[in-house]
Amino acid sequence: MLFKRVLIANRGEIAIRVIRCCRELGIETIAVYSDVDRNSAHVLLADRAYMIGPGPSKESYLNVDKILAVARECGADAIHPGYGFMSENADFARRVEAAGINFIGPTPENIVAMGDKLSSRELMKAAGVPTVPGSDGIIRDIEHAQNEAERIGYPVMIKASAGGGGKGIRVAFSPSELPSAFRTCQSEGRNYFGDDRVFIERFIQNPKHIEIQVFGDKHGNVVHLFERECSMQRRNQKILEESPSISVPQAVREEMGRVAVKAAKAIDYVGAGTIEFIFDNKTKEFFFMEMNTRLQVEHPITEMVTGVDLVQEQLFVAAGRKLSFKQADITQKGHSIELRICAEDPVNFTPSPGKIRRCRLPQGPFVRVDGYAYPGYEIPIYYDPMIAKLIVWGHTREECIHRLKRALAETMLTGVKSNLVLHKNILEHPVFLDGSYTTQFIEQEIKGKKQRQLFMFVDEHVFLISAAISAYKDSKLRDVSNFNLASRWKDVGRKTSLRV
Amino acid sequence: MYFEAESNGIKYQVNVNETRNSWKVSLKAEDQEWINYEIAKVDYLTADGAISLIFKNSSYLVDVTGQDTEYTVYTRGSFRTVRIYNEEKILHESLKKGGGFGGGASLDSGMPGKIVKILVTPGQEVAADTPLVIMEAMKMENEMRAPRDVKIHAIHVKEGDAVESGAVLISYES
Repeated sequence: MLFKRVLIANRGEIAIRVIRCCRELGIETIAVYSDVDRNSAHVLLADRAYMIGPGPSKESYLNVDKILAVARECGADAIHPGYGFMSENADFARRVEAAGINFIGPTPENIVAMGDKLSSRELMKAAGVPTVPGSDGIIRDIEHAQNEAERIGYPVMIKASAGGGGKGIRVAFSPSELPSAFRTCQSEGRNYFGDDRVFIERFIQNPKHIEIQVFGDKHGNVVHLFERECSMQRRNQKILEESPSISVPQAVREEMGRVAVKAAKAIDYVGAGTIEFIFDNKTKEFFFMEMNTRLQVEHPITEMVTGVDLVQEQLFVAAGRKLSFKQADITQKGHSIELRICAEDPVNFTPSPGKIRRCRLPQGPFVRVDGYAYPGYEIPIYYDPMIAKLIVWGHTREECIHRLKRALAETMLTGVKSNLVLHKNILEHPVFLDGSYTTQFIEQEIKGKKQRQLFMFVDEHVFLISAAISAYKDSKLRDVSNFNLASRWKDVGRKTSLRV
Repeated sequence: MYFEAESNGIKYQVNVNETRNSWKVSLKAEDQEWINYEIAKVDYLTADGAISLIFKNSSYLVDVTGQDTEYTVYTRGSFRTVRIYNEEKILHESLKKGGGFGGGASLDSGMPGKIVKILVTPGQEVAADTPLVIMEAMKMENEMRAPRDVKIHAIHVKEGDAVESGAVLISYES
């Protein structure tokens, strides 16, 4: 028996994503919202809606007591946490289950096992999952450093234990560079952090972020749904994702899938999860970074190439069903890319909350938009600036990129700044087009660019002419109203004289 | 109608005249010649709640917000804030000291948020683009930078303060 009533403990586009899925399954949907979100589209679309507190997340979307009280009051038999907020909070998952309500997500033990970066890496290492090769502990002296570097393989990175902010990090590409790198690192550690302990790690030269979608059920089955490449990042947050990745050879892709399944099985994983790897585009090696124990923002691209509805599967698994597919059923068909459309400055990435004036999102074949923006909607300051995800599918990567450009050309979003133009620039960039881009792309190719360079799709004079005509019209309007105000008597006189 | 404008750091002189069937707009960037455009009114019309502008046979869907001396123009996923002054405003600006082009006399908060860090002290002289204040809004920390070379006159907030949109954070010496 599937659920009758699902409470969605989230907001924005992901809440709507879950509402859509529930509705398709005939399940009643309960939205919760903060007082500033009264006009948010997830509230407008849900069957029922409960206000749970003021704008700041701590007092609303993170308020466990209040969310549980609403769930009990409305008789919800399951809670979907979406992503962010309570989605990776083991305590919340426990309390939901204790209240006799299904938590649509992993077990609390899964969340705990993967919650800490360091201990999860040790756990994965023990399970035979590759992690970034490094020294076992602190390096004693130069001889020790040389032996360890030889074992790890060049190039290596020497890191001060207490280092940070670019201080206390040196790279050695060959044994001859090692002694001076080791000494500098030690002294920087001593001078800046009062701690001269250093360790060694493999230096990943062309780092890419490649992740594998996995799915487990409560019967011990785990299946992977191939990779997503998420190397396009600003402020360490993804803004464009694609599946498949053209940098991953087929044999490596299959190996990554096998390893991801092994990792998930090692912790008896239940539900949708993602194993993140750092991928060396030079050597095609991959190393475990962390596991996200939730549905990801970029899950739609996996849905597009595999044909699996991941949210529906989450509900099925939470209700105790076996996975509806086996590993052999999962294939990648075509190519999909997602663009995150954010209300932010496209050059320096500062958020731009405010009122949306016009909002026309693209339509047409093989285009999907998961978003919550509409004309007249005021974007609140308390939450993430992402207002929509544009997801397209194509038979090939080239077709997919052309379709994205077409979709962006149809998109209009005014009243707030947006990163639409950044996406347009990325889609024209040779380093994106040939697929060799790394996690450093935005930093190296975009950041610090002037608006002038980014806004190449518009003739400069269009801005000026449009503003000038508006200013002209406004001035005229002011003149007329001033005239009228100053001479109401004349105005009445004139109108009277016109009467016969 | 004569205007002076600033767009993307470049100053322009602008002339706008309306005839029965067209808009005549002339632009002159600093140290450049006048460029004259005549845009037929059928090439600048309201469609679908925005302005459909056909410019050099390129079709732009344009939305303009703002009023008074500041307009933001949105088109093709790009946007530009244009500061524009008619004769009355030019006079007004010239009477004000320090204001006008290149940022105002103070650093104002563009949105409500919380002051995380103040990076300058009164009396300090900083170059354009130097970070002055780190402010938290929308889950992110944002650096607010000097719009031009300025000398810090006074700091009106302290770290940890919550500020409203438009609040004066730092004033510059004129």
